Amino acid sequence: MYPRWLWKALAFPGVLWLVLLFVLPFYAVIAVAFGTVDPIFQNPVPIWNPFNWNFDNTREILAQFLPGRRYWTVFVRTTTYIAFAVSISLLIAYPVAYYISRHARRTKVLLLVLLVLPFWVSYLMRMLAWVGLLAPDGFINSFLIWSGIDESPPNWLGGHDGTVIYALIYGYIPYMVLPLVAALDRIDKSLIEAARDLGMTARQTFFRVTLPMSKMGILGGCVIITLPMFGDYYTPNLVSSSPSTSMLGNQIYLYFHGGPQPDVGATLTVVLAIFLSILMAYYLYSVAKAQKDLQ
Amino acid sequence: MSEENNDNGQNKTLDGVVDRLEKHGMSRRQALKAIIASGLGVTVSPLVSRVAWGAEGPGGLPLARPGEPVTLPMNGSPIADGLKPESGTFTVFNYADYLYKSILDDFGAKYDVDVQLTTFANMDQCVTKLANNDVEVDVTEITPDRLTQVTAGKLLQPINHSYIPNLEKNVWPELHSPFYDRESRYTVPYAVYTTGIGYRGDKISEDIPNMDNPWSIYWNAQEYAGYTGVLNSPRESIGLAMLYRGKTNLNTENPDDIDQALEDLKALVDICNPQVNLTQYQTLAQGKSWLHQSWSGDPLMNVWWYLPEGQTADSIQYWKAPRGMGPIQNDCWAVPQMSQKPVLAHLWMNHILDSKNALSNFVNFTGYQPPINSVTPQKLIDDGTIPKHLSSCISEPEDLGPDSLQYMTLTSEGQRMWQDAYARFVSGA
Repeated sequence: MYPRWLWKALAFPGVLWLVLLFVLPFYAVIAVAFGTVDPIFQNPVPIWNPFNWNFDNTREILAQFLPGRRYWTVFVRTTTYIAFAVSISLLIAYPVAYYISRHARRTKVLLLVLLVLPFWVSYLMRMLAWVGLLAPDGFINSFLIWSGIDESPPNWLGGHDGTVIYALIYGYIPYMVLPLVAALDRIDKSLIEAARDLGMTARQTFFRVTLPMSKMGILGGCVIITLPMFGDYYTPNLVSSSPSTSMLGNQIYLYFHGGPQPDVGATLTVVLAIFLSILMAYYLYSVAKAQKDLQ
Repeated sequence: MSEENNDNGQNKTLDGVVDRLEKHGMSRRQALKAIIASGLGVTVSPLVSRVAWGAEGPGGLPLARPGEPVTLPMNGSPIADGLKPESGTFTVFNYADYLYKSILDDFGAKYDVDVQLTTFANMDQCVTKLANNDVEVDVTEITPDRLTQVTAGKLLQPINHSYIPNLEKNVWPELHSPFYDRESRYTVPYAVYTTGIGYRGDKISEDIPNMDNPWSIYWNAQEYAGYTGVLNSPRESIGLAMLYRGKTNLNTENPDDIDQALEDLKALVDICNPQVNLTQYQTLAQGKSWLHQSWSGDPLMNVWWYLPEGQTADSIQYWKAPRGMGPIQNDCWAVPQMSQKPVLAHLWMNHILDSKNALSNFVNFTGYQPPINSVTPQKLIDDGTIPKHLSSCISEPEDLGPDSLQYMTLTSEGQRMWQDAYARFVSGA
């Protein structure tokens, strides 16, 4: 028999990890957001005691997210980019994951390795490669001209919404495929066989069995890529750097990167975290509900 | 005005300063002590007067302007004359890619020390790292607009000119005692540069130098949409819009001027969708941008290092505003208080101001001109260092007169206004 405390103790490394690498840093961000700024060096001066926090800045910044106010446009643009990027990623990733899970028998491991392969190259390098490809005299435009598709192709890097959305998809899609493969792999094949034996067509089986049972993988993949996309600032910088494609992460970066208002950057981070925690709450609710349905 | 009247005026102003310090929680005695300790009341009459009318910078120090020089208070004493250089590792703090490695190696060989370079991404990071003791460095690059801040924070030590004969021997006389640091108490100059318009002569049809208002090219650049750019800098981008309107006070804190500049910048998004970045030193040559607000070193770097095969140098052009109508700035070197090798730091300053080293650093790597007497546009053209059509990239001593436009320190409120306006511009709202 093992002592009862042993099982709780096993959670200790994970709890420690969370406290050191999430709770404390996030508390520091909050302390900066509700803190002050050094009058000479303009460094943030965090206020650790919550009773002394100053909420004026936060109220003012929250008000700026209302329609027509300062952060409204960039917030809507960010959300729109991410909605498109996540939806298209899902449309691409699901068939890929489905194929790997169901049809790639001997090549399954190879395909999974190929999916992970992009992680071996840094995100920055992958994006820079695309900057080269999308440049005015890059391969894409050279091909368009050579093939006669477009005699005067656009400057893809000149501030196009589509380029930023495409770059987001390219950068994050591997994170979408992997949870989908895992979710599809977990579906009991006998359930699919039962559906077919009971007269469902392949299409009906997919929509009534496979798709509902892979819902957790879909949600998990969406969450995994949505969260970092909201904080992303380097992707629009690399493939556009135009104000017309700026995202909320760029505003956070601007205020943190220098100048007299790091507290504004921290407050924007907190506001974004609150918004994302609402999305996370929905995800957790869905997980709980799905598990209950399965029981 | 008689001397007596002048004294009375100063005393009244001094009273004003004391009153202000009292309002910030100091007793009258503490306030007077602080003024005396900083030497401000005695030696720095411009400081006193500016503080009195409200243009305080960090720590209540005065805000230097080209026509309003400032003598910074001494934070301690300079090192003594004639000390021997230290041994060990000497650390230089600078932007990445803003110093020719060979210059570092030569210095190490000359004084038999290891030399290492520690870098920062921007001046904010530089000051933060110095202030938080996040780095251990012996000499640092610094820009004049940060000098008030780092002096108020006592991050620099005064320099001893006896170790730096090249300052008087080789540097432009205008920078022997610059307005931002009278008597060169803390700094020696490093590089000087203007802000103008870099453009592709083979892509832009307008004759920019002969336009009535060349800055207005951006507001008429519809056909170059996607190929235009402004500098990723709050001061430079908002300054561009101010110059477009003919406003030459680039240190203004007038909300109306800043709002107008913001509206003009926002209009650019629909007109030419400019990119906001700092890649102009290569993208003009690469054809990724055709019209980009540029520093004067950028066209030279385009021509020297990034020109594709088959493309001629005259495709890269640079328009520099007439004297007093466009920004000009310079970078400096200074010795941090934390320096463990202050003698070597002084010798470094002398090393970088050696005419041969300064020229080598400029033409072999940085593209940014040192303010050295022997570096003249004509000489650089004659020896084939720069193409004739880019002589506008080279500044001359007279460009740094009291009517020159230089981005300098703002008050905290001013900085907030400029940053907020810039944030609104780059948000594309």
